[in-house]
Amino acid sequence: MRVITPGEQKQRLISGFSALFRVDTKLFVLVMTVTVIGLITIYSNTGGDSNLVIKQIVRILIGLTAMVFLAQINPDTFRLFAPILYTLTLFLLILVIFFGVGKSAGRWLDLYFLRFQPSELMKIFVPLMLAWYYSDKPLPPRFIYLVIGSIFVVIPMLLIIKQPDLGTALLIGMSGAVAILLVGMSWRFFIGATISLAALIPLLWINLHDYQKQRVLTFFSPESDPLGSGYHLMQSKIALGSGGIFGKGFLGGTQSKLEFLPEHSTDFIFSAFGEEFGFLGTLILMILYLFIALSGLGISIKATDNFGRVLTGTLSLTIFLYVIVNVGMVIGLLPVVGAPLPFMSYGGTSMVTLFASIGIIMSIKSHQRILRK
Amino acid sequence: MKTKARIDSIRKRQKIEEKYSWDRVSDSEEERHSHKIRAIIAAISITAVFVLFVFKLYELQVTNHEYYLVKAENNRIKIRPIQAPRGLIYDRNGKEIAKNFNTFDLIAKKERVKNKKVFFDNLEKVLSIDEKEREIIEAQFSDRKLKDITIKENISLEEFSKISVDQHVIPELELMPKLKRKYLHPLETSHVVGYVSKVSEKDLDSKVVKIYEGMTDVGKIGIERFYQNLLVGEPGFERLETDVQGEIIRTLKTNKPKRGLDIYLTIDLDLQIYAYELMKEKEGAIVVMNPKNGDILTFVSAPGYDTNLFTKSISTKDYQELLTREERPLINRVIAGQYPPGSTLKPFVGLIALDEDIIDDKTSFNCSGSYKLKNNKRPFGCWKKEGHGGTDLSYGLTQSCDVFFYRVAELTGIDIISDEIDKYGFGERTYIDLLGEASGLIPDRAWKRRVKGLPWYPGETLNVGIGQGFFLATPIQLALATSIIANDGQTFTPHLLLGYKDIKTNEYKKYEYEQNKYEVTIEDEEHLKIVQHAMWRVVNDANAGTAAGLRKINNMVIAGKTGTAQVYSLDAGKSQKKSLQDHALFISYAPYKNPEIVVVVIVEHGGGGSSTAAPIAHKIIKKYVSNKETVAQK
Repeated sequence: MRVITPGEQKQRLISGFSALFRVDTKLFVLVMTVTVIGLITIYSNTGGDSNLVIKQIVRILIGLTAMVFLAQINPDTFRLFAPILYTLTLFLLILVIFFGVGKSAGRWLDLYFLRFQPSELMKIFVPLMLAWYYSDKPLPPRFIYLVIGSIFVVIPMLLIIKQPDLGTALLIGMSGAVAILLVGMSWRFFIGATISLAALIPLLWINLHDYQKQRVLTFFSPESDPLGSGYHLMQSKIALGSGGIFGKGFLGGTQSKLEFLPEHSTDFIFSAFGEEFGFLGTLILMILYLFIALSGLGISIKATDNFGRVLTGTLSLTIFLYVIVNVGMVIGLLPVVGAPLPFMSYGGTSMVTLFASIGIIMSIKSHQRILRK
Repeated sequence: MKTKARIDSIRKRQKIEEKYSWDRVSDSEEERHSHKIRAIIAAISITAVFVLFVFKLYELQVTNHEYYLVKAENNRIKIRPIQAPRGLIYDRNGKEIAKNFNTFDLIAKKERVKNKKVFFDNLEKVLSIDEKEREIIEAQFSDRKLKDITIKENISLEEFSKISVDQHVIPELELMPKLKRKYLHPLETSHVVGYVSKVSEKDLDSKVVKIYEGMTDVGKIGIERFYQNLLVGEPGFERLETDVQGEIIRTLKTNKPKRGLDIYLTIDLDLQIYAYELMKEKEGAIVVMNPKNGDILTFVSAPGYDTNLFTKSISTKDYQELLTREERPLINRVIAGQYPPGSTLKPFVGLIALDEDIIDDKTSFNCSGSYKLKNNKRPFGCWKKEGHGGTDLSYGLTQSCDVFFYRVAELTGIDIISDEIDKYGFGERTYIDLLGEASGLIPDRAWKRRVKGLPWYPGETLNVGIGQGFFLATPIQLALATSIIANDGQTFTPHLLLGYKDIKTNEYKKYEYEQNKYEVTIEDEEHLKIVQHAMWRVVNDANAGTAAGLRKINNMVIAGKTGTAQVYSLDAGKSQKKSLQDHALFISYAPYKNPEIVVVVIVEHGGGGSSTAAPIAHKIIKKYVSNKETVAQK
């Protein structure tokens, strides 16, 4: 048994905040830095209009509350509620298909007092469900368990594609894949699965909506349609590239301010930030995201049971996956899918679910039982 | 510590393990280790992606920074040209011929028009728009290149005030101020000044005319075209920062336009208008030129046309009317009208014969009223049926005896005539400062074989001798040729530009006519004197001169030569049908000693040169003299 020295004890008391609220200081500082960068960018994009910023701050506060709240909860409780939460959200997704509201696609559920996207909740509940499912299985799991685990991922995916929201569906699919990889699927099997998925692409293609097809086509040749879908990517690259090493400075971005960069505060916020803060800015931001993911992984390594390991590992990797999907999109390495940048993009549900993920990670860290050697 | 769920799940697991007894028992330590390895692999993977992304960002933001910076600037900055006021055009005395005036175009910003139907409904409340105009406006909506839609050009002041009041009804509308060209004497000066009109594809291809960005109008013809580059000035521009909708955020920089240079023409506007009046209801041309410097004082091609129609995009109907009118007003007769010079060519034929020692002032031929050429069945008639009797050069010119010049031409031969006559400017453009000049025609053996595929017949030489047949000359060529005789063998290239002035610096630059001297070597000065004297006799020999009816004006002695150019056939002269009547010509200069002006008058189908053309020239010289006197009195 590891003995805690008086020095360490004191250290823990000094970081009383961490001790009191079970908040991991390192993770908290990293996430808050990114969030503040996001606020600065939104403020600059709107030309100094604090209206949006205030709205965003409210969302962040809600997110922080959720984070601190979840950090207090014992992981066992998560495990207890995992199947219920998952099933309930699945039910909500079915409701969305019939009663969904939204501008172009019905992704929102209007509960009169609250409007939210059930698909965003799935971003947490799919990893939670998988962590629950594999928590009492001997790992690496047998083939049949992998199939059942995959079904937990595919069902919400299909429902979300139906909305249609290809981006979120893919993100959820990827987080499911990450979870299954982490529980110990053999690499050989993983490669086989990837190849068979690739074989399914034509089938998927047939079932895509026209605008989704267009996005994919545009990805392969953005210049072919400079005024249509390729326009987004072109303007995003112009914003980033014109920023140079040091950027145009705070409030100095023209692409974002003059609206040449579309969605400059939501999906393309990274480009807007890169325009004003240059390569140095984007490098620092990428490092922050990498550190968030790595410290999450670190917590997952130290976790004492499979549930904790799978959940923290999946959640922290998923956050980084979102970063990859978004940044990959704005720099032209990945197709344009509407995916927000974690902790930066303007928007409510995603901000809250991301903070919730962090809260769950913190809960697992702070509730970990002392390891027996 | 164990919750109910935990206990449940453990129980469940035990049950499963019992069922599948071959399942390995979960090994916590092993699972921990396995997870650690997988987590580390995951960490390495995401770090690899991170590195890849950072490389890509470096490429975008550092390597290709310049490329994207230019693109961003192109997105943001729009250059809007500011129209430069066009230089004005004055006559030689500073009287205004072409000026600019302010007008407005009614435009609509396309992106502001949300609902086309509502827009048109509102528009009809304010403006009356017919079907055709509506079609044009609709066509502009579908043109993706256009950002603004021109609803109406050059709107009147009345409409302007009405629209200003009603603008709240259609906030999409904007009034764009604009400078438009206005010609003060459009008909009288149409062929000299020309006009400006919308820039066309052809203008963009022009290598001479400078077309600036955003230029709407360009000189199309006349002085407006020839001196386009002086008149146009330099447009200014505004560097504007615009947003994605093209809305202007702010002006970054303004460069003021440079006004074009003002042009002073050699034209005497008073004389020009007077001469045009004389040509009313007639078709033809009048040129008044100063042989001492090449100044063109009057340049009339009748009929003229309303050049102001062209500045506000002429309607197809009006244009068709101008094109098809029998009088053909669009033709610039002074430089592009090619006429048989008739008897006005005789002084030059005579001069060549003298220079070539074919005749001298004593040589006399008998005129019996006609001349019969060997092998020609039909005799060549003189205009005077009863004949002139013994005729020398002086008398032959004074009386315009055809038989004398048949003989001269026959003796000189077509080869010498065609070789020598071009030194008086025939068969070649004069290079007056206008475009579209015709070169006339000196026929010779080679020409006939090339064009007609036939040999030269001796009878055709006779016809050339009296300025008929294939020989063609433009009025401006006749003016130049007459100037050569009038000014003792040397004159200057005819020109319309007197000088130009930069209004800003007040710097006036004179056209240097001295550099364009036109000199003709005449073998013997006496020869010139003989012809000059004969031309004096044409007007002043009361008994013999074909234009002796002209009165002397205030001691201003006139010399000249009449001409009657036959059209179609020999009998045409007697026809009453106007289009078959002869062209009336008169070339003249005054005063006889030390001439100041050369006057050339051509009246198409005007009948006789002495009866129609000469009196017009006489009136012009009289007007010139009286103008000069009023100026002198002042």
